[in-house]
Amino acid sequence: MAYSDKVLDHYQNPRNVGSLDKSDPNVGTGVVGAPECGDVMKLQIRVDDSGKIVDAKFKTYGCGSAIASSSLATEWLKGTSVDAAAQIKNTQIVEELSLPPVKIHCSVLAEDAIKAAIDDWKAKQQARTTSQEVKA
Amino acid sequence: MIHVPAPDPFTVFGLQRSMDVDERALEQRYLKLSRECHPDLHRQQETGDCIAVLQRAAEINDAWKVLRDPWQRAKSLLELASPGVLDREKKLDPAFLADALELAEEVAFANGATINPLRERLERAIADDLEALHGAIRSGEHALAARRLHASHYHRKAMRDLDAKS
Repeated sequence: MAYSDKVLDHYQNPRNVGSLDKSDPNVGTGVVGAPECGDVMKLQIRVDDSGKIVDAKFKTYGCGSAIASSSLATEWLKGTSVDAAAQIKNTQIVEELSLPPVKIHCSVLAEDAIKAAIDDWKAKQQARTTSQEVKA
Repeated sequence: MIHVPAPDPFTVFGLQRSMDVDERALEQRYLKLSRECHPDLHRQQETGDCIAVLQRAAEINDAWKVLRDPWQRAKSLLELASPGVLDREKKLDPAFLADALELAEEVAFANGATINPLRERLERAIADDLEALHGAIRSGEHALAARRLHASHYHRKAMRDLDAKS
């Protein structure tokens, strides 16, 4: 099966590979997996006080399409708002990377990772607000 | 045309659905069944019978591949006992997945002296997976068994990657 040029580009020059400090309250971490193929994807976002995503990093262990999907996701996440990020759909990734039907699950994994990272960040914000209320 | 689903491997071999199979007896059964539908024994028959014999031979071979492999045997048993359970239990604990990612990195960077200790660790992890998987199937904990089977994919994949390096 031939990969599209865009998949190959992300695969050969993945953007934003790495990790952010997962204990940082402004960092949200999502780790998701596709157990049938043994793929795992970690996606992290750093959010500023205005709710804007100022940084995004990923690490993916999987096929070229899974790497490209998560690499593309971090590009889209940087500079956008958390609310807009939550609207990203796997179909947009499929379209951008011209993924064939057998690789659609890779884009689903990336969407799940974005949502998990946002949920983690939101849970941290919630916990912080609650503890501040307790102190006050 | 009516589509008849292939019989499950345990039925093909006339075995009880169980994790515990005697591997020697299984092989003997395979040889006996294969001989029974060997094409040379069925030369004189009608074309329709020939097709049936060939189909039976293919079923026996497919069933053999599943039954002789403890992972595939477990997978088949799980799907028979609780259809769809593997799909329902796909979501693994994020902490486990984070460990799996670290393990994959360790494999990617392993070289020289670090390869053998890593291989031993993976061998233990895979043996633990198999034991836990079988235990969970025996005690009827199908969801737990499905998650453990999924988890084992990460360890087995890491082992394949490590083997490919050396």
